[in-house]
Amino acid sequence: MIKQEAVLSKESRKFLDDLHVYLFSSGKNEKETNEIIEELKDHLIEAEKNGKSIEHIIGISPKSYMEQLSKEMSVDYKSWFKYIPLMILGVFSIIIIGDVFDGPLSYSLLEILGSIGISSLFLAGISFTFRYISANQLSTVNELIIFALVGGMPIGLFIGLIFLDRAVSTPTISFGITGTIIIAVVTTIFLIAFSYWAKTWILLVIPAFFSLPDFLLGYTTMVESTRLIIGTLITYGGIAVYILLSNRKRKT
Amino acid sequence: MSTTQMMKGILDGCLLAIIKNKEVYGYELAEKLGEYGFLNFSEGTIYPLLLRMQKEQFVTSTLRKSTAGPKRKYYSLTEKGEEELERFTERWYHLQRNVNNVLNHETSNQKELGE
Repeated sequence: MIKQEAVLSKESRKFLDDLHVYLFSSGKNEKETNEIIEELKDHLIEAEKNGKSIEHIIGISPKSYMEQLSKEMSVDYKSWFKYIPLMILGVFSIIIIGDVFDGPLSYSLLEILGSIGISSLFLAGISFTFRYISANQLSTVNELIIFALVGGMPIGLFIGLIFLDRAVSTPTISFGITGTIIIAVVTTIFLIAFSYWAKTWILLVIPAFFSLPDFLLGYTTMVESTRLIIGTLITYGGIAVYILLSNRKRKT
Repeated sequence: MSTTQMMKGILDGCLLAIIKNKEVYGYELAEKLGEYGFLNFSEGTIYPLLLRMQKEQFVTSTLRKSTAGPKRKYYSLTEKGEEELERFTERWYHLQRNVNNVLNHETSNQKELGE
């Protein structure tokens, strides 16, 4: 395996990675996706051994080649019905963990429905973004700008939701202290299980960086505005460092 | 019409014919096509075609360990695929005959007119 990877050129490896992301975010069957990637990898290795360029295999436009392949592959609705609720639950867990530190939980109907809506929209946005970025050759700066825009979208929408929730009153569900503790424990177990299953700590790292700095700085004697600035810096700086580190780990 | 557009339907038939003769894997197929003179097409085009032919049950594939190491997908023809190949062969000869007739007649007419 390792020997093969070394034989393959950087260009071909990037194409295979992009194709993987493209097919995955198009919701294609995972088994079929892995099979075609393996097949193309094998083909590219042989072709490069014989001195053929990648253009000779996939044509001038990687994008149109990816589309051609994608068109012939089936969409795996079954596993998406499994993934999407899990991801929405993931978003809720992050919100809940953040709120637990502010005392007993209580949510209005609008907040609950709005959060489901925003998470679904965010998932659709992410899927579109990955498909777009993998199919088009963009500079790193442009990729980062797109990610920032898509990443910022739910933040903006959630802020909008908070204001809307203040203006419009809908029935509220309140959990007492016992209820809150039970929910917090269940959510934490879910997050750990989910992270273990998805083999990533990001779902634990992000809520931790969002809620812990605020919570811990609350115990210091700093002025509120200083606390806010330092807290925000730790939150976003921490997440950025985490993403950078895990990216570097993935590459090596 | 460009050569690539014209090729698509024709490639289907050629792939079926090669697979019928011998169980092959993807790279082998592309090589064979190259040997027969199909040089200016991107080799990768065979994979979307193979995917479709599998969906239409003209070919099946089995993963087998090759001597070189990695597991390879070998394609073989189904009964349905053989029937499709027969239909393609018929269509092709018919088309070839017609095109030849047109070209032979019309170009020789032009020559006569030119003289």
